[in-house]
Amino acid sequence: MSTEAIAAEKPKRNYNALFGLTLLALLVLLWVILSLSTSSFASANNISNLLRQGSMIAILAVGQTFVIITGGIDLSVGAVVGFATVIAAMLINAGVPVFLAILITLLVGVAIGLFHGFGIVKMGLPPFIITLATLTSLRGIGLLMTNGNSISINNDAFQEFSRNSFLGVPNLFWMVILVGIPAYIFLHHSRWGRYLFSVGSNAEASRLSGVNVQRTIYMAYTLSGLCAAFVGVLLASRIGIGNPTQAEGWELQAIASSVIGGTSLFGAVGSVHGPLLGAFILATINNGANLLNVNAFWQRIITGALIIIIVYFDGLRRRGGK
Amino acid sequence: MTSTAQELHPAPVLEPGRTILELRGLEKRYPGTHALKPVNLAFKSGEIHAIVGENGAGKSTLIKLLTGVMPRTSGEVIWEGQPAALATPHEAMALGINAVHQEVVLCRHLTVAANMFLGEENSRFGILQQRAMVKEAQKIIDDLGFDLPAHVTLGDLTIGQQQLIAAARATVRGTKFLIFDEPTAYLTRKEADQLFTLIRRLKTEGVTIIYISHRMEEVFELADRVSVLRDGTLVGTRNIAETNDAELVKMMINRSIEQIYHKEHFTPGAAILESRNLSGKGFENVSMTVRAGEIVGLYGLIGAGRSEFVTTLYGRHRKSAGQILWEGKPVQINSEHDAIKLGMALAPESRRDQGLCLNLSVGLNLNLPIYKRISNNLLISNAQERTQADRQIADLRIKTPTRSALASSLSGGNQQKIVIGKWLAHGARLFIFDEPTVGVDVGTKAEIYRLFSVLLSKGAGIILISSYLPEVYELADTLHVFRRGKLVATHGFRTADHEEILTQALAEKQEKLGGQT
Ligand SMILES: Nc1ncnc2c1ncn2[C@@H]1O[C@H](COP(=O)(O)OP(=O)(O)OP(=O)(O)O)[C@@H](O)[C@H]1O
Ligand SMILES: [Mg+2]
Repeated sequence: MSTEAIAAEKPKRNYNALFGLTLLALLVLLWVILSLSTSSFASANNISNLLRQGSMIAILAVGQTFVIITGGIDLSVGAVVGFATVIAAMLINAGVPVFLAILITLLVGVAIGLFHGFGIVKMGLPPFIITLATLTSLRGIGLLMTNGNSISINNDAFQEFSRNSFLGVPNLFWMVILVGIPAYIFLHHSRWGRYLFSVGSNAEASRLSGVNVQRTIYMAYTLSGLCAAFVGVLLASRIGIGNPTQAEGWELQAIASSVIGGTSLFGAVGSVHGPLLGAFILATINNGANLLNVNAFWQRIITGALIIIIVYFDGLRRRGGK
Repeated sequence: MTSTAQELHPAPVLEPGRTILELRGLEKRYPGTHALKPVNLAFKSGEIHAIVGENGAGKSTLIKLLTGVMPRTSGEVIWEGQPAALATPHEAMALGINAVHQEVVLCRHLTVAANMFLGEENSRFGILQQRAMVKEAQKIIDDLGFDLPAHVTLGDLTIGQQQLIAAARATVRGTKFLIFDEPTAYLTRKEADQLFTLIRRLKTEGVTIIYISHRMEEVFELADRVSVLRDGTLVGTRNIAETNDAELVKMMINRSIEQIYHKEHFTPGAAILESRNLSGKGFENVSMTVRAGEIVGLYGLIGAGRSEFVTTLYGRHRKSAGQILWEGKPVQINSEHDAIKLGMALAPESRRDQGLCLNLSVGLNLNLPIYKRISNNLLISNAQERTQADRQIADLRIKTPTRSALASSLSGGNQQKIVIGKWLAHGARLFIFDEPTVGVDVGTKAEIYRLFSVLLSKGAGIILISSYLPEVYELADTLHVFRRGKLVATHGFRTADHEEILTQALAEKQEKLGGQT
C-alpha cells in the first residue's frame, strides 16, 4: 500500500499532454518496429498510403470525440460518409461546379447533425437511438436515390485531389491538419469547447451556470455531421464513385480511435490530438499486418485486443493512487 | 437479510467505557495531498465521539479509512483488540462498522426499501421478496420514528429525507460502530431532532458513535467527547464538559473569531426584483420584493417550496401565474440564460446534482459562468482564466493543490465554496444563495457572510435560503417564512424570536401529522 501511495505522490498535472506523448511514443515504436521487420514499410509509397488510410478515420474521430465529450455517441457517421459520396457524385455529375457541390454536401452533413440535435434536445431521444435510426435510414435513402448502383464520378480534377500530394505529403493528410488545428483551438481554447466538457460532466450544473446546454448539444452533433460529410467528399474523390454502402463500420473505427485516444465514453474527458493519434495507430496496425501478411481476420482481433489494453491502462493511470 | 427489527441492534460484546477501536499512526496520502498525518486515537465503547475541524481537515478521509472505502497509506487500526485490515467496505460492515456518508451514496432510481436492503436482499429461491422487503423496511422506518414511505423511489425524497434513509439503513446491519459524517447538513430542524433521538437510542443500546459536524451546538448537545483535526493532524481530544465553543474554534483554525455572523446594515435602495402573486410547481401566490443592499431570507422546512420558488424566478421552471418585475419593469424569464442576462445568479442547493461538474477541474468550475467575459469572440484568455480562478481560490480559501485538480477530489465544504465562488466574479445584481453554507466550516462561514456584505455594498440584493434558522435569523433584513408552498409570515431583522418563526414554519405540518394518526 505504501509504495503505491508514494509513487502516486506527485499530482498528475497535464495528464492530457502526458497521455498524448505516450500514444505518440507507441505510434513511433510501431513505425520503428515495422521499418525494421519489413522492407516495404518505410517506402514513400507505403507511408503515403498509410497516411491516406488513416486520414479519413482521423477526421471522423475528431467529430465523434466532440459528441462523446458531451456524454453522447454518434453511430451515424459511417452512413453519413456513404450518403455524402452519393450527394457529391450526383451533384458533380449534374454539372454543378465542384466547389458548390462540396459546399452543398457539407451542408447536408450539417443538416443531419441538426436533426440529431433536434431528436435529442426536443424529442428527448437517447443519442444512441436517434443516430442508430439515421444510420439505417440514410443507407436506405442512399440506395433509393441510386437504385442500388454506384455512380461513377466523371470529373478527373476532383479525383486527382485525393491522389496528389503537396510538399511530399498526401493532400488527404493535409486535410487532417486543416480540420485538426481549428478543432484543437475550438475544443481547448474556446468557451464552446469548455461548454462541451461541462455539459458532459453535469448538464444541470452547466445550465444553472448559464451555459446553453441545448445549443451545445446541437453544436456537437452538427460538427460531427460536418466532419462526416467532409470525409464523404474525400472518399468520393479517392474512390471516384458515389455509393451509399461505402464506409461500412467506419463509425466503430472512429469510436475506437477516439477511445484509444483517451476519450471517456462517460463524457467530459477527451482531446483532439488523442483521437488523431488513435486513428493513425489503428491505420498503422492494419497496414503493418498487411505487410507482414497477417491474416485479415487476425487484424480485427488485434485491434479489439489493443482497444482493451490501451483503455485499461488509461483507466488505471487515471484512477491513479487509489 | 431476514432479521426483524428486534434483532437489529445486538448487545455489544464489550462493556461500556472499554476501548472498542483504536487508531495507531493512521495515515493517508492522496496524490498531492497529505490528508491525514499519523493519528493516534482511541474510541470507547458506547460513547458519542464528535470530530470537528475545518474543511479539508481530514475528517471524511478518516471515515473513509475506517469504513474500508479507501485503503490507508500506513498505520494500524485495532478493532476489539485485534488488528483489522479494513480493506473493503464489506469487511468493515462484517465487523459492525457502518457509516452515513457526507454525500448520500445510495441508488436514487431504486425504492427506499430496495436501498435499505441493498446487498442483503431478502430472496427466496433467487426471487426477490419485494413485498416482504417493503413491509420490513417500513417497519424499521416507523420504528425509528421517521415519517417516510418505504415503497417510493429514493430520488423522489428530499435530500434530507434521503439522509434519514441512509441513517436508517446504517442501523440495520448489526452495527456496533456507527459514523455520521455531517448528517444534519441537509436536514430540517425536525428531521434533525428525529436523528438525534435515533442517535441517543443507539447509544443506550451500546453502539459507539462518531459524529462529525460543523455545528458547534450539535456537538455540545450530543457528544461525550470531541476530537479536533487540523490539516490532517489530531490537535486534541476533550471531554465535552471541560471545553467550550471558543476553545474548539481556536483549536480548529488556530486563531479566534469574535463573530461569525457579520451583519452590516445598508439603507435599502430601489427594488431589484419583485414577485407579484407568483405561482408555479411547488408554491403559490408568493409576493415579495428584493431591494438593493438587503438580504431577504427565506426560511422553512426543506420541501416548503423555497427552492422551487427561486428556481422559477431563475427561469428553470415555468411560472403558472403571477408576474415578475425586474427593476420595476415586468419581464418574461424563460430560461436560466434570460435570468443571468438580467443580472441574476443562483448558487443551487445540491452541489452534486446542480452545482458542480465533479470530474472537471476546480478552475473550469469556477469560471463556468464567466467564460463569455474572459474570452474574446473566439479564444479564452488563458491568463484571465488563471487569475480569476486563483483569486476565488485565495479569497474563499478553497483548499486544493492547484486550480487544475478535479472538483471531486476536494472535501465537501471546499466543493461548496466553488458553488458560491463561481458567482462572485460574475458581477450579478441579484444573488440567490440556496443553502450556501451547507458543510462549510466556521471560519469560512464567517468569510462567506463577510462577502455577502461586500456584495450588498456594491448595490446587489441577496435572497438567502436556509433551513438553518440562526443563519437567516442573524443575517436577513427581511425574513419570509414558507410553509407548504405558501409564504406564511414576514419579519424584519430580528423582530421575531426563534420560537415564533419555528412555529410558523411547522404549524400546518404538525396538524397534518396529527390528522393522519
Ligand atoms: N479522492 C481524493 N483525491 C485527492 N485528494 C483528496 C481526495 N479526497 C479528499 N482529498 C483531500 O484530502 C483533504 C481532506 O479531505 P476530507 O474530505 O477528509 O476533509 P473534511 O475534513 O471531511 O472536510 P469537509 O468539512 O469539507 O467535509 C482535502 O485537502 C481534500 O482536498
Ligand atoms: Mg467531509
